[in-house]
Amino acid sequence: MMRLGFGAQLRHHRLQQVLAVVAVATAVSLPVVLISVGGGVSQHELASLQNAGYQIVVSAAGVHGIANAHALTDRILAIPSVAAASPVLSVPMDAFVGSGAPTAVLAEGIIPGQFTPTLGPAENGLFPNPLPLGDPTDRVHFANGTYTGPATWDVLISSPLAQADGVSVGARVALGPSTNQSQAVAFNVTGTFGVPPTALGPTGAFAIVLPLSDLQVLTGFAAGPGAAVADAADSIEVAVSGSATSNPTELDQIQSEVQALVPYYGVSSLDQEAQQLQSASAVLTGFYLALSSVALTVGLLFLALVLVRRVEVGRRSIGIRRALGLPRRAIAAEIVGDGLVLAFLGSVLGVVGGYFVVEALGAWGSSVVQDAARWTIFDPTTLVAIVAGVLALSLLASAVATRAALRIEITEALR
Amino acid sequence: MNPVAAPTIELTGVTRTYRAGQPEEVPALRGVDLTIAGGEFVSVEGPSGCGKTTLLNLLGLLDAATRGEIRWDGRPVGSRPERERARLRLEGVGFIFQRFYLLPTLTAQENVELPMRAARVPRAERTRRASELLREVGLAGKERSFPHQLSGGEEQRVAVARALGNRPGLLLADEPTGELDSGNATAILDLLERVRSDRSATLVVVTHNPEVAGRARRHLTMRDGRIASDLREA
Repeated sequence: MMRLGFGAQLRHHRLQQVLAVVAVATAVSLPVVLISVGGGVSQHELASLQNAGYQIVVSAAGVHGIANAHALTDRILAIPSVAAASPVLSVPMDAFVGSGAPTAVLAEGIIPGQFTPTLGPAENGLFPNPLPLGDPTDRVHFANGTYTGPATWDVLISSPLAQADGVSVGARVALGPSTNQSQAVAFNVTGTFGVPPTALGPTGAFAIVLPLSDLQVLTGFAAGPGAAVADAADSIEVAVSGSATSNPTELDQIQSEVQALVPYYGVSSLDQEAQQLQSASAVLTGFYLALSSVALTVGLLFLALVLVRRVEVGRRSIGIRRALGLPRRAIAAEIVGDGLVLAFLGSVLGVVGGYFVVEALGAWGSSVVQDAARWTIFDPTTLVAIVAGVLALSLLASAVATRAALRIEITEALR
Repeated sequence: MNPVAAPTIELTGVTRTYRAGQPEEVPALRGVDLTIAGGEFVSVEGPSGCGKTTLLNLLGLLDAATRGEIRWDGRPVGSRPERERARLRLEGVGFIFQRFYLLPTLTAQENVELPMRAARVPRAERTRRASELLREVGLAGKERSFPHQLSGGEEQRVAVARALGNRPGLLLADEPTGELDSGNATAILDLLERVRSDRSATLVVVTHNPEVAGRARRHLTMRDGRIASDLREA
């Protein structure tokens, strides 16, 4: 209605309007940040799963719960269309460089020749190929479970660890299960590998990769005296070949065959894990929306208060207009229009603000937060839905003020 | 929009009681019977609280009677729903208030255009008509001024121009010179008389001012919510 609306009111109620816009913007920026960052991280993890070099995972409950890992690997490799089966044992250890203080590292025991085919495209370039870890089959040292064969005592160390401890290829590093260096065993550093970005942070950044049997001996997970699991591994990653890589039916068949070998272990495909991740992501998104609804409610309550306040202040103006014969719907339309304009400006500002918050997190956050910020996805559909939702809710806020305006008695307003 | 012919207004047994039915009810009008022919110039006088403004509000359909009937040209209009009374006000009544009641956020031109816009007068026509009215009331060149940039006399002239925008047949003025100095008051009265005469409109003026009342041809005096006297000049 002429300039009774936003433009004219801006001259007289600038502060209230600015505050209302800021309140809505703050309320909108929260879901923008939460949903965009959360969605981005989920998408990244999903992409990591989908781009992995293996398709099936064998895992067991409990600490290092797979027993007889070498033998089981052989049996899995005997299944047609299985290209590689890579047992992995992950154990936290202490690394000693010279006489310096120990560095906590994550040691990963693998069978070198099986490990490389299970790397995805993103990881493949991070490792030397072939892995310079001596015997690619790990059978020489393993020696049919007697661990009597000669070991090369070679390790690969991650680039961050090499940089932090000043270790280069050719140096020696002692690894031990405790901070007591006398229990540590000396290894030759034969190479380094890069660390892919991960949402889990720097846990894996200080890592060491070595032959499975070496790690088993070092940590007591070899022969299994007492309560220890014999020839232990945490998981076996299985890569398939040929049409099975793209044919879900064939993959299901291979998964069933692996499961038949180990009915007491869990066997899952990455598709299933991806579905679980998507389900978890959906639950998280719902949680983010619930959290955001609190902020949005506060923002819209503030908007309603500003609109009601404007009606109170403009009581006489409303009375004058109604006295002149302006229909109620014109007055209602003006208030609703003002509410929509404020909500729209607040929403747009909130989206832009959310974007800059993520940018700031990417620039000044911790490394994990920076990674999360880098993976953020600003989905236009989601952003439009958020803005549309806020506009719809602003109608409710406007309705409160409209009701107050239409209940004004003309003759009382003009006194 | 063509000029609206001045209606004959009839009030029959009109009573207006505020807070009716409550212990603190206030009887403002008590069974008023009154007929005002189209084109008359009527003054309404009386002490404060006698019901002058209430009578004006009922004549202009700003308020609804508690009892009794209000007719325009024989048509019952007083008991019509607010939406319909708003339309009749918009098209048929021009209000001039003592405190002008211009909208402070609009320019003089926009204030004058406001009722025309609500009545859906095309933009070009209402712009032309508003400019013409402002020129007619002596405010050419002040179209873009806001109310706070105008003197009291100028504000009241804008209010008069606004009242005339939809060419109403009934002009209602409540103490139109109450806040003006004598020079501006005389100018506004001259203006009101001229537009009433030019447009054959009915003009009802509530006033305490003998000079204002003296210009009318018919003088109503109210007391305690009733019409105490009704004098017509020859």
